[in-house]
Amino acid sequence: MDLQNLFDMSSLFLQQLVNGLTVGGVYALIAVGYTMVYGVIELINFAHGEIYMFGAFITFHLITVYKVPFFVAALVAVAACAVIGILLDIVAYRPLRNAPRLAALITAIGMSIFFQNLALIKWGAQIKSYPLEALPPFFSDVAVRIGDVQVTWLQVFILATTLLLMFALHTIIHRTKVGAAMRAIAQDKRAAALMGINVNRVISFTFALGSSLGAVAGILVGVFYNAIWPTMGYIAGIKAFAAAVLGGIGSVPGAMLGGVVLGVAEVFGAGYLSSQYRDGIAYAVMILVIVFKPSGLLGKAMIQKV
Amino acid sequence: MGIREFLEEHPWAVVGAVAAIALILPWLPLGEATGYVTRVATLTMVYMALALGLNIVPGFTGLLDLGYVGFYGIGAYTAGLLTIHYGLSYWVILPLAAMNGALWGILLGAPTLRLTGDYFAIVTFGFAELVGLVIRNELWLTRGPMGIPGIAAPSIFGHVLSKEWEFFYLMLAILVFVVILVRRVENSRLGRAWFAIREDEIAAEACGINIIRYKILAFAVSASIGALAGSFYARWFRFIHPDMFKFWESILVLCLVVLGGMGSVVGVMLGALVMIPMTEILRVGLGAFVDWAGGAGLTWISPDLVNARYLIFGLILVLMMRFRPEGLFPAVRVRGEMHPGSERERDEEDESLYEARTDHEKNSLG
Repeated sequence: MDLQNLFDMSSLFLQQLVNGLTVGGVYALIAVGYTMVYGVIELINFAHGEIYMFGAFITFHLITVYKVPFFVAALVAVAACAVIGILLDIVAYRPLRNAPRLAALITAIGMSIFFQNLALIKWGAQIKSYPLEALPPFFSDVAVRIGDVQVTWLQVFILATTLLLMFALHTIIHRTKVGAAMRAIAQDKRAAALMGINVNRVISFTFALGSSLGAVAGILVGVFYNAIWPTMGYIAGIKAFAAAVLGGIGSVPGAMLGGVVLGVAEVFGAGYLSSQYRDGIAYAVMILVIVFKPSGLLGKAMIQKV
Repeated sequence: MGIREFLEEHPWAVVGAVAAIALILPWLPLGEATGYVTRVATLTMVYMALALGLNIVPGFTGLLDLGYVGFYGIGAYTAGLLTIHYGLSYWVILPLAAMNGALWGILLGAPTLRLTGDYFAIVTFGFAELVGLVIRNELWLTRGPMGIPGIAAPSIFGHVLSKEWEFFYLMLAILVFVVILVRRVENSRLGRAWFAIREDEIAAEACGINIIRYKILAFAVSASIGALAGSFYARWFRFIHPDMFKFWESILVLCLVVLGGMGSVVGVMLGALVMIPMTEILRVGLGAFVDWAGGAGLTWISPDLVNARYLIFGLILVLMMRFRPEGLFPAVRVRGEMHPGSERERDEEDESLYEARTDHEKNSLG
């Protein structure tokens, strides 16, 4: 193998790695939403993928209908999604706190379908894209170029946003009072309540936090691929859930790691193995992890209480 | 005696009444609509069979299966491929499809059924998605997105079925078989073991029930019924396509089960009887409404409203779980479980047993 060939291969490798990290960062943003909610109320919030979709669509709506500048629109959308997340919990999940787990799970699926179809009615099934003139012009410029490897400012922006948010999240969970309350509830809801923690308020906060991160992810993906559609949350949600499972459900650092690993695995799998089965990689990883190591990469082994 | 108790105590009376109506249905004087009505009735029965099959897993055993459509698809493709490649008779294909469904049920269930409820639900979901991907991508086997057209219709004693009412009666026969099977199983040692697992896994294990084995059996029986329905669908519709076996179908069948009443054989059938014709009515009605709105210049009404009938399924799931988790026509036992600690349950429970209850029982369905 001559040197040029090797160089081409390694530059392809690098390009894939960068793409994988970008996608993975976004998965991680969604995955922490799943994992945090699971941590506090032990529910797979199936509707989380739809919050991600709402993030993308509300931004789109504000930009196209009300001509709001991109960053303002994005901020409003994130705030709106936080509210939607809180309402979702209060209206749908809170009444079922003491019901059998199966009931809450079915409710979550029902809400997911409800949201999806609400978006379908409002915005239609066609793939929409953000008007290019509304996006910051520097997004499409190339930031770094090494050989054939290109990294656009948009990718830099996505990676930077992801890292910043992860850092902020880590700070919230470990350095603030409400974060301590979240961790306490994750350990033992009843004991936390006895210690004077307003459990419902902290759960609402968790939903708001997870939903806003999900919304950010939706906006970033919407801009990155410049395509949004009402069922986009379905596959993204499942992949992010797979990432959360991979990292160990309930573990926030695990979700971050899982997202990045899954994103990279997917891009490489699609590039080197089979592009048709790109989506299948997430499902396969998820099933294998659940079957062979349900505690994931960083999760604690779950003890079934009798 | 309320309707519920009547249904619970006289299931055969209800089945008999339904069967009597069913027998004369294709002969109702509906003029041009007869073929359409018969087709919807046949489709309703396909979903009744699917609901009965799915019911075994969440209803009888207390595990959420989100990938039921995977088995439906496996059954349909088994039937379709065996027909176009080998020209096998439907009567040979029927058991083969059911066995293939059961095989995949066991292959999936054996490693995953020891997982707790949520994880299991997710694994089944992933499985169905993988089935969909394989059907879509393995062109050499399934022709992928081109679908499989021209599947021969079944024949009986050399007579090839072609009229809607003929398929109607074939599906009716399959459905009767499934109902008998499920009723028999429900009242057997096997069924009682499933209920015991649903109500309290630990107690069931302590009573000597091999939990994994019975769960796998539940999964295999459920999968084979799904595949059976799929095999009929393939030979009836005579064309199959990957899009017919998407996640929505799983949710739709789950919706029938939840609406009718998880664990109630009569309930889930009534769930299908209500929902499937309603879906058709919504599809046609919304289509007409959208056309009218388009003509009347009401541009704010999106043509996608037709597809949004699934919105109602989502709402049904949420509202049922909130206000009537036991379903519209519940099995008595499930009703007690879905309202833990309620007065009614307390009355039904043996006093001494009640004392022995522990906190975790609340979560016995998870």
